[in-house]
Amino acid sequence: MRWNRDFSFRLVLLALVFLPLTLMGYKIFVLRYPLDVLLPTVSYRVDLSLQVDGHGGDVSVATFLPRSDYRQIIDEGQNSSGTFLFSLDSEGENLVATWTESNFSGHHNILYTFTVSPRYVRYLLPAGLKIPAFYPAAFTPFLESTPGIQVSDPLIEETLQQILPGELPDISTALIAIHRYLQDQIENRDFSGYTDAVTALKLGEASCNGKSRLFAAFARKLHLPARLVGGVILEQGSKRTTHQWVEIYVNGHWVPFDTVNDHFAEIPANFLTLYYGDLVMFRHTPNINFRSLYKTTRTLGPRPELQDSLARSPLTILNLFGLFEQVGISRKLLEIILMLPFGALVTAVLRNVVGLETFGTFLPALIAAAALETGLWWGIFGFLIIILLGAAAQRGLDALQILHAPKMAILFATVIILMLTMTVAGLKLGLIALAHITLFPVAILTLTAERFAQVQAEHSFAAAARRLLMTVLAVAVCYGVMHSSVLKALVLVFPECLLLIIACDLWLGKWVGIRASEFIRFRRLLQKEAP
Amino acid sequence: MRTRDWQAMVRWLLSPEAGRVLGMNRRNLGYVYPCNPRRFLPLADDKVLTKEVLVRAGVPVPTTLGIYRHFFELRRLGEDLAPHEEFVIKPARGRGGGGIVVVAGRTGASWTSISNRVLTVAELRRHITDIIFGVYSSELADAALIEERVCQHPELEDLSPLGLADVRVILLRDRPVLAMVRVPTRKSEGRANLHLGGIGIDIDPDTGRTGRALHDRLEVRRHPDTGAVLSGRTVPFWEEVLRVSRMAAEAFPLKYIGIDVSIAGTGPMVLEINARPGLEIQNVTRRCLQALLVKRGEQS
Repeated sequence: MRWNRDFSFRLVLLALVFLPLTLMGYKIFVLRYPLDVLLPTVSYRVDLSLQVDGHGGDVSVATFLPRSDYRQIIDEGQNSSGTFLFSLDSEGENLVATWTESNFSGHHNILYTFTVSPRYVRYLLPAGLKIPAFYPAAFTPFLESTPGIQVSDPLIEETLQQILPGELPDISTALIAIHRYLQDQIENRDFSGYTDAVTALKLGEASCNGKSRLFAAFARKLHLPARLVGGVILEQGSKRTTHQWVEIYVNGHWVPFDTVNDHFAEIPANFLTLYYGDLVMFRHTPNINFRSLYKTTRTLGPRPELQDSLARSPLTILNLFGLFEQVGISRKLLEIILMLPFGALVTAVLRNVVGLETFGTFLPALIAAAALETGLWWGIFGFLIIILLGAAAQRGLDALQILHAPKMAILFATVIILMLTMTVAGLKLGLIALAHITLFPVAILTLTAERFAQVQAEHSFAAAARRLLMTVLAVAVCYGVMHSSVLKALVLVFPECLLLIIACDLWLGKWVGIRASEFIRFRRLLQKEAP
Repeated sequence: MRTRDWQAMVRWLLSPEAGRVLGMNRRNLGYVYPCNPRRFLPLADDKVLTKEVLVRAGVPVPTTLGIYRHFFELRRLGEDLAPHEEFVIKPARGRGGGGIVVVAGRTGASWTSISNRVLTVAELRRHITDIIFGVYSSELADAALIEERVCQHPELEDLSPLGLADVRVILLRDRPVLAMVRVPTRKSEGRANLHLGGIGIDIDPDTGRTGRALHDRLEVRRHPDTGAVLSGRTVPFWEEVLRVSRMAAEAFPLKYIGIDVSIAGTGPMVLEINARPGLEIQNVTRRCLQALLVKRGEQS
């Protein structure tokens, strides 16, 4: 009987370890899943905010929005412009967003949010590549002289003679010389205005747009197609400054150059491309005061492009996103639901191996999951407020001496009111993160508030507070684990990991060791025991 | 961390069987779950059921004066209690001593509690109503148990004037393994539970003499409230205490238990049986339960 039970336990444990490991091995070694998919990558959330002050009349504001391409993936674009009508149009390669409102006066804030998963790209220019004599007709605009890029100005040719003496250089030599000249001889200045190529050359100083035009002028003069690129350098924080660089058409590729920041044939991951061409970022009717701001938040996240490439495989959960979206479950929610077993395992370890006394077994995992939108600190803040005030309410109700079920009903209502109050307060104070507190699991918070009051009544406030502190600690650890993008990617690509989690739980279920906290509690006995 | 520490940590994680100290995990997995089948747990958790089992087996317990399960029974509460001067009201499924009222005397139509509170019939009825409503048991309904007040042996009264002291005996398969005396303090409000502030005192199992005492995990020589010396005393009826616990354990289908025995002038009485006895007894007696339990297991 006893042997039988041990045997079946081991069999189940073995199966739960062996099966998922086999499947993982099959995916990695036979199906050749790229393991890079597990590594997190930097992505940015950009909040573009356009502030408009009007005094009547029709108002229109336009700017470029980014498109996904070979080096940046744009996702989750969301417009919240209130009464302003939002429309999107394609203008050549560019995507133009326009917001309009008729007879507008007063102040209005237009917000457009999107996420960017960019990557760094570098081109190797082969030596000895000759400048082509002919290009297809479509390239004519990239070789033309314009008012800003004065290709036929004698000064351009003269300077080019100086920096590239001799006959017909190859492409790589020419670009290195131009890049070095602009990098070393033309000083970087922080002008915000428009500078044409010749002015930049004559003054020997320019900002990004002047340098880019001068680069384009040199390149076009050498019969290399060149175009300007407008965008934003993504850095944590808020900024108004936009950026321009230049791309040269070499051997079938548009190769990027930035002579302000010394990027030769490369583009850093945090360059967000917004438009191509010698254009201005914002256009608006003249009857308004206008301000723009890019707010960037840097996050570590999964690699959507690699995940999408695996979505066709029936052995991952990635292909199920569409299915779940039909019933209104977002990708984010599904990801966090899949992380709950990890959180529960972490809590079990904290309780049985470390010896933390937490409120509830799943509470820390659930709170950590709910803190997805609030962030850890606001999540903990809201959690503490709800539990402490809820417990105070419970103590008050105890004093009134009323029956249990109605008392719990009142406590439930109190917790809901507290949460709504915090949401409204969060919105009023501009603490959007705190406002998401409404997503917290109400029933479990109510029970926790009751348990807190119970411990307080049976023992002391200090005992209850100690337990709450340990719970918060467990929430923080769960948060760290559950929001790890590596683990998220792991469970999406290898959903069989959940069986491994169950195996760990099972092993933990038979673990009879002394808890870390008991090492402290029984330290004298343990010292005596040690040889 | 040094390599040695890492090795120790890995050893701790992979072979937890090695220790002699009993931890919470092993208490549950090694003793409580296999020895105390779930279906018998109510026998320990409900004092009315506990008493039924013990009385049937002839184990001495405080005399039951009344059991109230329904509100209509409370109409005759005044008449029921009229002949009694001293008694104790307990919730059958109370936890940690909550809801216990000790009545110590009578003045006219009302009684006084040990804390000198005057209690009328109406007040007692109200308290019992609360008990029946499950206020003290975190369940929907409970029963109120009224029993004789145990007047503890003078020897113990001297040691523990602030409440009923008891002897906690841990038994595995009907044999005592480890025992201590538990003494209430002002902080513990008359309750003997160590985590509520009671004092635990070691007992020499052969002689019944008290040894080292622990209060709030610190070693003390004297009672913090009365100054009474705690060690070097003899527990009266010590052999009898062990015999009574053995009897109680044999009568019970639970095989890993902590029995609380209090000692009246006439002899020991079993007050309570605990199916998940605490581990602090190891710190009080400075003895490792796991080692004792293994030895005890090898004997049978």
